[in-house]
Amino acid sequence: MTNRTGRVASLLLAALVCLAPLGCNVVRVSFNASLGPEDVAFIVPGQTTLSEVVAKLGVPNSIVESDSGIVATYRFLDLKYSRVNFGWLAKPWTPVDPDLIFSRTGLGVDAFQLLCDPQWVVLNQEFQRHLTRPPFHPYPFQQSRVSPQDELRASSGPAIMARHDPGNIRSHAMPNE
Amino acid sequence: MKISRFIHTLLMMVLLMQGCAFSRGTLGDDIKSDSIAAIQKGVTTKDEVFRLLGAPDRLVPLNGRDVFQYYRYDAKAGSLLLIILNFSRLSIKSDDLFVILNRDGIVEDVISSKRTKALAFRFWPFGE
Repeated sequence: MTNRTGRVASLLLAALVCLAPLGCNVVRVSFNASLGPEDVAFIVPGQTTLSEVVAKLGVPNSIVESDSGIVATYRFLDLKYSRVNFGWLAKPWTPVDPDLIFSRTGLGVDAFQLLCDPQWVVLNQEFQRHLTRPPFHPYPFQQSRVSPQDELRASSGPAIMARHDPGNIRSHAMPNE
Repeated sequence: MKISRFIHTLLMMVLLMQGCAFSRGTLGDDIKSDSIAAIQKGVTTKDEVFRLLGAPDRLVPLNGRDVFQYYRYDAKAGSLLLIILNFSRLSIKSDDLFVILNRDGIVEDVISSKRTKALAFRFWPFGE
């Protein structure tokens, strides 16, 4: 009898383990390679040229003129979405289709901006946002890990402000990422 | 015996591949490497750039110069649909080309990246 009970318990446990991931969706969307502080650590303001940056990071997604020079922007995205429907657990035993869904989406949108002088020397560099990598768990009731300082920095507008200073343009290599 | 093993393998592959989806989307024309290589700094004119690459996607004025920007986006999505547990991953990359023309309409500089070359279909959403 004890042996039989143990077998039933094992079967129930196995069934629970199998049912645990029921109704799970994990989705990830990425746009270009995400850049982190370690990827741009080689940039020394006042010394590094845009050519050197392009050689390591590839061509920026946009180049625009500002009042103090040229702003090159690298954009990237790392979206993570996860969803679990606990209602699936009850599906085999109920005539209705119950749903109890937890889901969470982390957008992870960021950009890396470089302000260059007219000779293409990097004057300033900054990430537009300082988001930590978005989580991959569907629990929606937990606070984001962005610090208040980072939130303030992100909401205070573009990282680079500029002034006008026209000049020449230097040659660049043609790298591939 | 070999035929039986082959049929079993084929059957397993068919069963496993049933919950797979592949999708792809592109925006813009392919930026041909030959066309980029044909542009010579200090020689090629604006008209020749138009002929080689067509009208730019963006025209940016830069210190009195014109910068032509050409771009192309490529998206590849892979999904593993196991009915109760689904994994999807969508990867998007861009090819960008900037042609910088001087005040006389002659090409001064060309910078480009082909990121879409390394773009692959992926299912697994975790990791890098």
